Amino acid sequence: MKWLLNALSSSVGKKFLMAITGLLLCGFLVAHLAGNLLLPAGGDLFNDYAKKLHENEGLLMVAETGLFGIFILHLYLAFSLTWGNNAARGKGYAATKSKRDDTMSKTRPDKWMIGSGIILLLYLCLHLFDFKFHRFGMDQELTALAGDSEAVTTKVAIHVLKSPLTMIGYAAGFVFLFAHLSHGVSSAFQSLGLSHPKYNSLIKYGGLAFASLISLGFFVVLFWAISQ
Amino acid sequence: MSGQGMELKLQIWRQANAEDKGRFHIYHLSDVSPHMSFLEMLDVLNEQLITLGEEPVAFDHDCREGICGMCSLMINGQAHGPDKETTTCQLHMRRFSDGDTIVIEPWRAKAFPVIRDLVVDRGSFDRIMSKGGFVSVNTGNPADANTILVPKQDADRAMDAAACIGCGACVAACKNASALLFVSAKVSQLSLLPQGKPEKAQRVLNMVAQMDEEGFGSCTNTSECEAACPAGISVSNIARLNRDYMCAMLCSEEGM
Repeated sequence: MKWLLNALSSSVGKKFLMAITGLLLCGFLVAHLAGNLLLPAGGDLFNDYAKKLHENEGLLMVAETGLFGIFILHLYLAFSLTWGNNAARGKGYAATKSKRDDTMSKTRPDKWMIGSGIILLLYLCLHLFDFKFHRFGMDQELTALAGDSEAVTTKVAIHVLKSPLTMIGYAAGFVFLFAHLSHGVSSAFQSLGLSHPKYNSLIKYGGLAFASLISLGFFVVLFWAISQ
Repeated sequence: MSGQGMELKLQIWRQANAEDKGRFHIYHLSDVSPHMSFLEMLDVLNEQLITLGEEPVAFDHDCREGICGMCSLMINGQAHGPDKETTTCQLHMRRFSDGDTIVIEPWRAKAFPVIRDLVVDRGSFDRIMSKGGFVSVNTGNPADANTILVPKQDADRAMDAAACIGCGACVAACKNASALLFVSAKVSQLSLLPQGKPEKAQRVLNMVAQMDEEGFGSCTNTSECEAACPAGISVSNIARLNRDYMCAMLCSEEGM
């Protein structure tokens, strides 16, 4: 299987893996958002969903390990490719100006994917501390609310999302998630070689719509929690 | 044109040789005709420098009609200057205004080392081509034109890819100094045609391997290369290369 390793460690192969892992993480985002939207849906829907999710801890652990693996691979490839890309330029230009016609050319997210990615990583650390590790027991009220249960309840979610640090951190995280996905999704299709004049507009605007909907969906959850 | 020309401030990269650190020099050029090409403007500067006993600015050029791919130059941060689908030799001074400062730099990439001033070594492109940018199967005597039928759309796409002049603007404009637009054009121009198909898998794997070995960056799909390309090569060629590469990796016996 050396041929596979050789091919996947080339620049084109790495981008192929980057695209696959990125799209898999998008799939996770959809599932995660769908679950979270049960919060504003009201009633016991969210609590039931969280309970059900944690009923089979073994299966959950396998899924979480898989997700962690995909995430680490995506992260490794991002740093590895960025390292190579910076080295490939060597000495930089005194002046640079895009020849693209896009009106947003100076602020286009495709220019700083590693930047938005690193901010998302920081956001993710905050998110995991909040809900997975309950801020390492620093927040006593939260620890009491969470109790021994691994499942996040509606009460815990509202308590966490109402803290000022979380509000600002999460809002920023969702904005950068939009920026990251707005290029990432359509770029993944190109890296996989999925380009066709009939579908290119759909891929471009579909990627943008996906980024908007995911980001908007998480904002809905955040605003709902703040309003409680 | 005397008396009607432009006054220009030229900020030009000067570097004695590959080992020299290099630095910008400022030159003031007056009475520049708007009808001159950019390279003619540099010729005028060089004539003045020679008269003054200074070293002229070294820059690459050959056909001066946009087909040879020799001219380069990063002009005010844009490969081949501000015009779309135009090489530096086709750029005219009427695109600039009296009193302008023009920053002129060589292509910047580890795989394109500066030889002198604005001249870079693009031998890495030749080495990539030597790894498969050709058809090596023996085709015998010229066959009748209709023996191998090629759909018009494929012929057009192959021709569009073959328009690449190998100037390196794609590498220069890419923030990652990636050569994927060049390689994808060279792969596509052959893989789209029946004559190029037998070696399709081997070609794409070998050319990408050589591209990586030369130290070019990877493609992050910013499409700056397409915008900077003087031959109008589309990034759809990059998608085709990605497709061909994956097919070659997963479905062919190449690379085993």
